[in-house]
Amino acid sequence: MRLTYSPAVEEFRAEFSAWLDANLPDEEATTVRPRSSADIPAWSRDFQRRMFDDGWLVPGYPPEFGGRNADLYEQAVFWEELGRRRITQSFNPQGLGIVSASIITFGTDEQKHRWAVPIMRATRTAALGMSEPGAGSDLAGLSTRAVLDGDRFIVNGQKVWTSGAHHADVLLAFVRTDPDAPKHKGISALIIETDTPGLVRRPFRDIARTEPDFNEVFFDDVEVPRENLVGELNDGWRVCTGSLAHEREMLWILWSQGLDRMLEDMLEQLNDGAGAGAADDPVVLDGLGSSIVDSWALRLLGQRQLARSQRGLHVADQSLLKLLGSEAQQKLALLMLESLGPAGLDRTVPPDAQQPYESDRAALSWADRYFFTFAGTISGGTSEIQRNIIAERVLGQPRG
Amino acid sequence: MEFEFTEDQLELQRAVREVLDAEAPPELARAVADGRSDGDGLWETLVGLEWPAMALPEESGGLDFGWVELAIVLEELGRHAAPGPFVATVTQFAPLVVEAAGPRGAAELLAAVAAGHTTGTVAVDEGAGTWDPASVQATARRDGDDLVLSGTKHYVVDGAGADEIAAVVRLDGEVRVVLVPGSSVQADEVVPIDPAVRHSTIALDGVRVPADRLLGDGDAAQAVRRALEESVTAVAAVTVGACQRIFDIINEHARQRIQFGVPIGSFQAVKHKLVDMYRDIERARALVYYAALTLAEDHPDRTPAASMAKAAAGEAQRRCVQDGLQLAGGIGYTWEHDLHLFLRRAKVGELHFGSASHHRRRVARLALAGQDGS
Repeated sequence: MRLTYSPAVEEFRAEFSAWLDANLPDEEATTVRPRSSADIPAWSRDFQRRMFDDGWLVPGYPPEFGGRNADLYEQAVFWEELGRRRITQSFNPQGLGIVSASIITFGTDEQKHRWAVPIMRATRTAALGMSEPGAGSDLAGLSTRAVLDGDRFIVNGQKVWTSGAHHADVLLAFVRTDPDAPKHKGISALIIETDTPGLVRRPFRDIARTEPDFNEVFFDDVEVPRENLVGELNDGWRVCTGSLAHEREMLWILWSQGLDRMLEDMLEQLNDGAGAGAADDPVVLDGLGSSIVDSWALRLLGQRQLARSQRGLHVADQSLLKLLGSEAQQKLALLMLESLGPAGLDRTVPPDAQQPYESDRAALSWADRYFFTFAGTISGGTSEIQRNIIAERVLGQPRG
Repeated sequence: MEFEFTEDQLELQRAVREVLDAEAPPELARAVADGRSDGDGLWETLVGLEWPAMALPEESGGLDFGWVELAIVLEELGRHAAPGPFVATVTQFAPLVVEAAGPRGAAELLAAVAAGHTTGTVAVDEGAGTWDPASVQATARRDGDDLVLSGTKHYVVDGAGADEIAAVVRLDGEVRVVLVPGSSVQADEVVPIDPAVRHSTIALDGVRVPADRLLGDGDAAQAVRRALEESVTAVAAVTVGACQRIFDIINEHARQRIQFGVPIGSFQAVKHKLVDMYRDIERARALVYYAALTLAEDHPDRTPAASMAKAAAGEAQRRCVQDGLQLAGGIGYTWEHDLHLFLRRAKVGELHFGSASHHRRRVARLALAGQDGS
């Protein structure tokens, strides 16, 4: 155990830091903001492409795919630098983190170069078609049908909660290709171009943001070439669960940074007198102390997971870290909102709250931040599902 | 940061656990709880294994293993609800002596501790329950070659049994640390919620000690604070160990106990409570070892880190005692079941050296003042 990284890792950090100093986009340009999670403004497309070309987009990947074969500690300081400077890796996070990652892991060489590389270089954007009206927590119960007909699939059904689909060029959609097999064994992963006839996207708003991000996506006899199948036929569940494998050691960092971002704002605002003396209220201080402990616990348990992975040990902490991170954000946002008292009624966000390279989600009002934390405790497996997973897989309790 | 035990630390953990499984089984804690044993035999065994020496500085005849290693031992002591003077002597008395007198000044005294000849404790709090040296009112005054003390100290762990008491008093207005032989004070033992962690109220009025029992020079308030950072982290480590044992008992119970034809662990209402206990223990353990690391490296974050460890351990014990006892059902409510031995140890950890709430508010104030440790 030790508090510091090795000199080699710090050197890596310095190199990335110097690269950022030389390559950050002009702040003036950043007034053009992304409208959804698959809408990347030109200044950000250009930046993401340079990150890729110089091997800084996904440092753990080989140079061919925008990386430099960085080890886990190097990847950690990469994220630390982005977080410290409030830089978003990509404004198409699912496209980069899940869709291109799935194609890199499970796709053919042709698929990697046809879809994954353009998504990583931000010349195209992607959305993820997983959930359906009847398949949320029970994702494997999805019913969108794809029937193989010669060299093409015919797709019929509906997806929902598809973030950014209205701005995305392609979808990675999970579809049922064998309705007679057990539910996990009849699923396949397809890349579907969003301009294919029969595909209709209907964006809808959520409670935290003014611009819509979610979509319903309807498929009505949508024809998809067989070559768009990622992985083997009926082996899509492996793609679905494995898509995050390459960087699952890192996912906690985003929870951790989101929490720290809120915490910094809260400390600053309390010191500026927010909430009419809330900074002297023992109840507020008590809650704040607990949230600071949350923030450290998340960072330390994340680091422990990194250390274990680096040693090649099997790590099963992802659910714990997601649970801790998403609920800690919720607890803190609620604390700050209630600490504000009537000042919390104002939904206005000061214009200078928006950081140039950061997602707009970080600069919501406290009420909207609180609402937005439910995206964390509901999506990607609800907190209840995470508790079931931990109880069964880590604590050894029987399935219910 | 590399936040995982080294191979040597894992080996130490295995060795410590093995010794305590054999030497401090639940029967020992039960014997102490029933008043059939004072647990002193365990201390003799641990002295023989050089455990007290392990954490002490080399200058004082110690082995200077480091604080992470000490935390490993403390967590296991909690996990076994082990009785005896180890915690007070090694994590309360020794740090205060070292901080007040310096490692050289403390050498002779700590050599006696390392050899198992001397046990010790500290007398800091005077009833406020905050262990804040600034609020100390007890005094010492010079009388020829002697010091004459006055005042009353509360919550002195092992106050009735320790050979030496490091008492925090005011001398000419300054905070100072005076060594008081345990035999020279009136110790009023409180009936304890954990019979293996006894504490006393100590009357210092009229106690006379030679002036050379005054440790170090100048105001010792900072020395006391630094020493308490070690004591607080230690109590947190013991608490985490006790919580882990509560969790282990309940997690196993949920797998074995059949009701309605299935193990009760298959019910989500049970599962989710277990996960919350597990989460709070992992959270607290992370903060305990972080605090241990900052102590080992004497990093400036040791001040917020110690309070974060104590706060997190307090939150863990609260959940583990509450939900652990509830999930155990009727059997856990009986004296015959081992659960209460560990519930008691966990609750003692919360009530000593500042509550979780006290430390949370302290963490928040430090962060608002820009000392959040990040």
